Amino acid sequence: MTEAILTAEGVSKDFPLPRSLSDRLAGRPARAVHALSGVTLEVRRGETLGIVGESGCGKSTLARCLVRLHEVDGGRVTYGGTDVATLTGAERRAFNRRVQMIFQDPYGSLNPRMTVRQILAEALSVHRMVPTARIPDRIAELLALVRLPSDAADRHPHAFSGGQRQRIGIARALSVEPEVLVADELVSALDVSVQAQVVNLLLELQERLRLTVVFVAHDLRLVRHISHRVAVMYLGKVVEVAPTATLFDDPRHPYTQALLHAAPSLDPGSRSRRAAARGELPSPIAPPPGCPFNTRCPHAFDRCPAEVPFLTSRGPDHVAACHLAAPRFESAR
Amino acid sequence: MTDAAHLEAAVAAGRPRRARPPGPLVWGGAILGLSLFLAAAPSLVAPYDPLAFDYGAILQPPSPAHPFGTDNFGRDVLSRVIHAYRIDMGIAVFATVVPFVLGTLVGAVVGYAGGLAETVFGRVVDAVITFPFLVLVIAIVSVLGPGLINMYIAVSLVGWVFYARIVASEVKVQKRLDYAEAGRAMGYTHARIVLRHLLPNAITPAIVYWMTDMALAILLGSSLGYLGLGAQPPAAEWGVQIAEGKNFMATAWWISVFPGAAIVVTGLGFSLLGDGLAALLRVRR
Repeated sequence: MTEAILTAEGVSKDFPLPRSLSDRLAGRPARAVHALSGVTLEVRRGETLGIVGESGCGKSTLARCLVRLHEVDGGRVTYGGTDVATLTGAERRAFNRRVQMIFQDPYGSLNPRMTVRQILAEALSVHRMVPTARIPDRIAELLALVRLPSDAADRHPHAFSGGQRQRIGIARALSVEPEVLVADELVSALDVSVQAQVVNLLLELQERLRLTVVFVAHDLRLVRHISHRVAVMYLGKVVEVAPTATLFDDPRHPYTQALLHAAPSLDPGSRSRRAAARGELPSPIAPPPGCPFNTRCPHAFDRCPAEVPFLTSRGPDHVAACHLAAPRFESAR
Repeated sequence: MTDAAHLEAAVAAGRPRRARPPGPLVWGGAILGLSLFLAAAPSLVAPYDPLAFDYGAILQPPSPAHPFGTDNFGRDVLSRVIHAYRIDMGIAVFATVVPFVLGTLVGAVVGYAGGLAETVFGRVVDAVITFPFLVLVIAIVSVLGPGLINMYIAVSLVGWVFYARIVASEVKVQKRLDYAEAGRAMGYTHARIVLRHLLPNAITPAIVYWMTDMALAILLGSSLGYLGLGAQPPAAEWGVQIAEGKNFMATAWWISVFPGAAIVVTGLGFSLLGDGLAALLRVRR
């Protein structure tokens, strides 16, 4: 259970911005969006790791780095102890097969000109998962696995609803029998009623197929529902990682506290109008010095803008990156 | 709503659009089907030999014996217009098929690769479109010498750029969509992603442009024929015929007008087919 299968070690990823002619002439340095700056995280075999954070915090970029859709600019991603950036040819294909991704947009992630059968058959034949004669049977099995009717195979993606398309995406990922499934905002584009269906399907498949799942989302309730451990990201950094129950009951980073507090409560008696974090998310083009959260943190003191806090232990399997040992969030309740 | 019911409803909603082929496709197809038939077997339809002189019937106006009249050598204009379908439909196809195939492949590779390939390609495009198309083609033909084959070569040397530009920009859009990323995450090769996934979604504008381009190729072939750089007299070709008739425009308008009308009708056929294909090949999401 505790063996790390996929790790990020100090991973950085910058997206350079187009440089205008006047910038070049004036000799101003090239600017870049610092999507990830020094992310260290491990994914353990068999667990569901939730990754949460606001829009723009780099969680999707991290997901894409983990499956090597992006090459990292600094640090490394390892799979089974091997740096994935060094894999080429057949080894790279094998890595792609074992670490699969499911995409956010159910309308963009399936080729609109291919039927479901073509989509699945292609995955099966490229990776030689089953003999050619067995492909139709295997497609039927996969469709049954994600609870789509068997006559869905010969339709094009446009004939399906968003939730059905996400299940086709899951079937495509599962067709190559992966060990790790990286789900990037799997259900955020779906109606709430459909979200539960798809998430519960994923949970069931995880148990049945002993999958390791990285679940990237901004919906805290969802992450709490399905994750064993949760990593909280802020401005391209991981600020806290803990087992789900610990993180939700005893958050140690002020940003995690703010995030949990900002989630609307179903109990009208405990509603609060007080904002947990001041101001806006700073631009990832020019992140603030020191702790990235210092511009919005209610506990910020003079050490925060000066020194970057590292992830330090806060309890069993619980790390947070804050200069304060135990910041307390004063709620106005 | 259950899954099955939802599926049925979604499929039913998509059905009527496919049931009726678009009108332009039918009309364009009919015109071009007839044109192809005339190109394949002109002598079955044409009443006279297109090259036979008849000094007893010079510059005859349209009549039951010669529905489109006769020219200054007594040749039957109708028969010449019909026989010209073979050359002009040939121009439409052979002057555009190489640019279409070559340009589509180059455009797909350039659009997918981006970076340096895209920069170099951009400069090539700039160099070609700086010159007016006709001027460039005339320059190349005058180097190679007049004639149909040399005209095909000249048009192909220039024409692929336009297809490549269309496909490259479309592939650039498509490759950012999740399904292309999904292909990479599946471990598919670049060739598979470009040919199997991106190209089928990017090629429609190029096909539609191809139809328009065939009409333009006929115009170009006729222009070069008119200038004496394409098909050579006495061959029956619409541009050549218009050139032959220009000296008699005031007294025998039919020599030039009927080949001109044939160009218009054929061009219309290609345009309608292009519109129809655009509607038929539209991606439904």
